[in-house]
Amino acid sequence: MLLAHAITLTKARSYVAALADRASTAEASSAYEHALIELDWIHGDDVPALDTLGLTTDHDTLILDAITTILQLADYGVDALGIELVLAALYDAHDLDAAA
Amino acid sequence: MYGENGHLLRAELSSLLKQHRIQLRIGGPGTHTVPVTTTGEERAQIGEQVRRYRQSTLTWCLQATIAVGPESESRLAPRATNPFRLPAAQHGGLAALHQALDHTVRASTAPLPDLAELTTQHDLPLVEHWRQVARAAALGEHDFDAGLGHGQLDDGQLHTLIGDIAATVRALVVLDARYATIPGWERLHRADRLGWAALACALDASLDPPDYSIDIRGWRPKTKVITGPAKPGLLGVLQAEHNLTIRMQTFPSAMNLRLVVDSQRLLSGDLATRVQKIEPALHEAWRVREQTYVDLQGELRNVGGSVGVGGLAVAEGANAWNRLKVLPPGTELDPRILHAFTTLFTKLDARIADVVEVGLQRRAYFVRVKVPGIVTNGRVVARVQERFVPPAEADHAAIVGLVRDRLRPPPEPPTAPPGAARSRAELHAAIVHQPERRAGGKDGVGI
Repeated sequence: MLLAHAITLTKARSYVAALADRASTAEASSAYEHALIELDWIHGDDVPALDTLGLTTDHDTLILDAITTILQLADYGVDALGIELVLAALYDAHDLDAAA
Repeated sequence: MYGENGHLLRAELSSLLKQHRIQLRIGGPGTHTVPVTTTGEERAQIGEQVRRYRQSTLTWCLQATIAVGPESESRLAPRATNPFRLPAAQHGGLAALHQALDHTVRASTAPLPDLAELTTQHDLPLVEHWRQVARAAALGEHDFDAGLGHGQLDDGQLHTLIGDIAATVRALVVLDARYATIPGWERLHRADRLGWAALACALDASLDPPDYSIDIRGWRPKTKVITGPAKPGLLGVLQAEHNLTIRMQTFPSAMNLRLVVDSQRLLSGDLATRVQKIEPALHEAWRVREQTYVDLQGELRNVGGSVGVGGLAVAEGANAWNRLKVLPPGTELDPRILHAFTTLFTKLDARIADVVEVGLQRRAYFVRVKVPGIVTNGRVVARVQERFVPPAEADHAAIVGLVRDRLRPPPEPPTAPPGAARSRAELHAAIVHQPERRAGGKDGVGI
């Protein structure tokens, strides 16, 4: 894994984890966690550590950042279908979060 | 379990000790009011059968002395001043009992009973009692390798077991003298020495109060998965949680562990909400559990590892949550089911704590590496930002601390099952049992 790929992946993981921490319900938080696990799974669980320290608390900014960075992973050869599945999980979690 | 086998052994021996005039019990002569129903040859055969059962009991006693022997120390011996040195004197009474039992077992011509003899019910009540004694002894042999011997007992439990062995041996010695009239009966070899050694052990063991919590140790049958369709209502959730506890006995991969932890977090939170009004204590406890799992989930995000399985555990965790999720909010909650959840949660929390600690210890799980950042401070060459990790963090202190201090249930002192003391007292009373005197007899008072 190249350093740039690792940094992008770290950011993506951190944004999703921050969304899980700031979710309005336990169920929505769990759905974000599942999206994070999906993201780890498409990398074979060989992923760098995340760090949510200092990230924005704004929910909309976080979700946009998460989607953007996950889409950027395609530039580093990550399977496009895998990315779509992660995004689908993320959208589901977001809908659950917004509905609460 | 030792409690069950030991109780059966003592109860059946007590029944035998209360039976006097043995010839009458096996259909022999003794009184003109009861006809003789068996021949001398038949009574000899019964005697042989009883001796085979007795041999099984003697073998249990011998194995028990071997299992407790190396660790036990006489309570008469002075306390060792240096904890790094072995006690100077061995347990003299136990060594003598072991020697006497070894000699008696070797000197006996009776073989051990075969499986058919142990499992087939006998028509004569006396022989049936002996069969039960032998059965308990045979089953009890499993307990020594499953938590009852070889250094797994504390001092109090060791001496309780020695007391039990001594009582059993004394019962066998008393019965041996009583059965001497059976045709072809073979007496215990050097029964007097056996009896004195047992008495010495019993008195030595009685110097301190016994610890009957030994009864909950020993072999237990494996808990099985509850198969079949989901039970209705909350029982279905309990079924899935029970299955999850069993499935977690296999070591899960880090990713599967995260999914299990997620299911427990959801389950605790939802159950806590449902029991808020009817069980406030459970509500508090489950809220704390939910928060513990939330924090554990956060820590596990940076833990990886492909070693392990755990797919079935994940499935059962998902079953539990999905079944609970569809239950309507006003569903009737049976208090017994709710308290069963507490038991399962305790077991599961202990297992997850073990998994995390063992996983980190054996390097099945690893902590993910933090990617260095790039410092953009306006200079032409951007340098890689270095990040120093304190040794405590590198040793996974946060997650290990969380698991040890918050997730792992506090150890509870083992408690003895009810009736443990009574069962032993009954055997001791039976050893000195005398037949009831008839009214108007030699020493009795007639009406």
